[in-house]
Amino acid sequence: MPASTQLGSQLVDLCSVLLLLCCFAIVAQRRLSACVDLFALQSAFLAATAALVAFLTGHKHIYFAAALTIVIKVIVLPRILRKVIERLNVSRELGMNINIPAGLLICGALVIIAFFITQPIIPLGYLLTRDSLAIALAIILIGFFTMIARQKAITQMVGFLVMENGVFLGATAAAYGMPLIVELGVFFDVLVAGLIVGIYTHRLQDTFDSVDTSTLTVLKE
Amino acid sequence: MQSFIPIVLVVVQLALLLALSPFVVGLIRKVKARLQCRRGASLFQPYADLAKLFRKQPVISSTTSWIFTAAPYIVFASTVAAGLLMPVFVSHTPLNFAGNIIALVYLLALGTFFLILAGLDAGSAFGGMGSSREAIVATLAEPAMMLSILSIALTAGSTNLSTIVHQSALMEGVVVAPPAHLMALAALFIVTLAETGRVPVDNPATHLELTMIHEAMLLEYSGRYLALMEWAAGIKLLVFLTLIVNVFAPWGIATSLAPSAIAVGLLVYLGKVAALALVIGVIESMFAKLRLFRVPEMLGAAFILSLLALVFFYTLKG
Repeated sequence: MPASTQLGSQLVDLCSVLLLLCCFAIVAQRRLSACVDLFALQSAFLAATAALVAFLTGHKHIYFAAALTIVIKVIVLPRILRKVIERLNVSRELGMNINIPAGLLICGALVIIAFFITQPIIPLGYLLTRDSLAIALAIILIGFFTMIARQKAITQMVGFLVMENGVFLGATAAAYGMPLIVELGVFFDVLVAGLIVGIYTHRLQDTFDSVDTSTLTVLKE
Repeated sequence: MQSFIPIVLVVVQLALLLALSPFVVGLIRKVKARLQCRRGASLFQPYADLAKLFRKQPVISSTTSWIFTAAPYIVFASTVAAGLLMPVFVSHTPLNFAGNIIALVYLLALGTFFLILAGLDAGSAFGGMGSSREAIVATLAEPAMMLSILSIALTAGSTNLSTIVHQSALMEGVVVAPPAHLMALAALFIVTLAETGRVPVDNPATHLELTMIHEAMLLEYSGRYLALMEWAAGIKLLVFLTLIVNVFAPWGIATSLAPSAIAVGLLVYLGKVAALALVIGVIESMFAKLRLFRVPEMLGAAFILSLLALVFFYTLKG
């Protein structure tokens, strides 16, 4: 590999590692508003990674996806979630299914699993972003774990969004991004999901006086 | 003449560690004072404190055993020995043959062990409490420290500190695996804050019984024993700062024994340690002390970071 490509590849790796670190920070965070802020930060890193890949490869449509990421995931969605948190008057997540140190250890194991699974595939790739595939898979798994471990609807939403970030990173890593029309569709989907969860949390709050999704299991007449 | 140089180097390194450590403590205190809009004590106040303590007559409780009087010497000696094992301003350490990075970690652990014993020995409630807390922090910090140091050792292909520092200094800023490097650095920094009793874990400026860890173990000490313990704590802080500075940013360290290289190495080293002390002072001003049961979460995060550093070393080769 020529030196400049190697440097570019290392920069992409570094950016994706920052995304992964944000995931761990979300897992270790109790305050809901801080979780949302960390998600916004992670999305900003995602946009930076995408822009970097676009710059290094010359694929113009990735710039567009990066811009969309900033508008929707760094500005609009966090704002919606923050409003929901303000109106619900909940600031902390108490009573998690799994405590934080154990959660961190499980996430460490998830990362190792992700790396182990992608190990046979990665050497076959020739793109300079190929290492990010492992990180993307790890982010998806951690997002999934967050949705399982947390009980508040808002953190579950953050977990879902983190998974989505992982999928986006994976697509960028494996194939330099999806076709523009697919990306537009996905962004629209995420935005709508954010709005729906906002409304749904309000309904949850109105009905049960809490946004704890485990109350939904007793939804019987 | 040639065999004379290593001895001089060791003596200079020893003198530097002993002389610089109170200054670093004073510098951190000064930074904190300035950030709180106070003038603060002089940078050389810790020297005066030590000198005064050495002149005072020690008072020893009649319930203590020999461990109580032996512990300050053991703690001091093991910390200084750890300091002599690592490169400070020249990448070739003369005492290199005596032990590698693992020996360094366990020399520091030996000091911690005797500190804990000394805290228990006097039989006061606070000492025992401090010892039990220190034991928790030390056990949780050690795996993170070992893993982060091992990930760096893997990068250099050797557990010998001199080799690690020398190789990375010769690379002139090219890092083989930047993500691994960065995460190991973050982990080691958290461990440093925990092991040296700085703010998110312990508050070195307080004697409030509910919060203190390190100070609680020293409560029964006075006179020259207290001076030795405090000096050893200062040296331990300096050892950790030097470890971070030289392993993660060794650029500028003298890689040969030419006088000009050594002079540059010395100046760069002083600058880097001062900068890092500044960072610690700022962090101490920015954060409140963590509640004790949150400390395992922070050290757990450090452990995960160092684990990831190891994993990334194997998988992310660019």
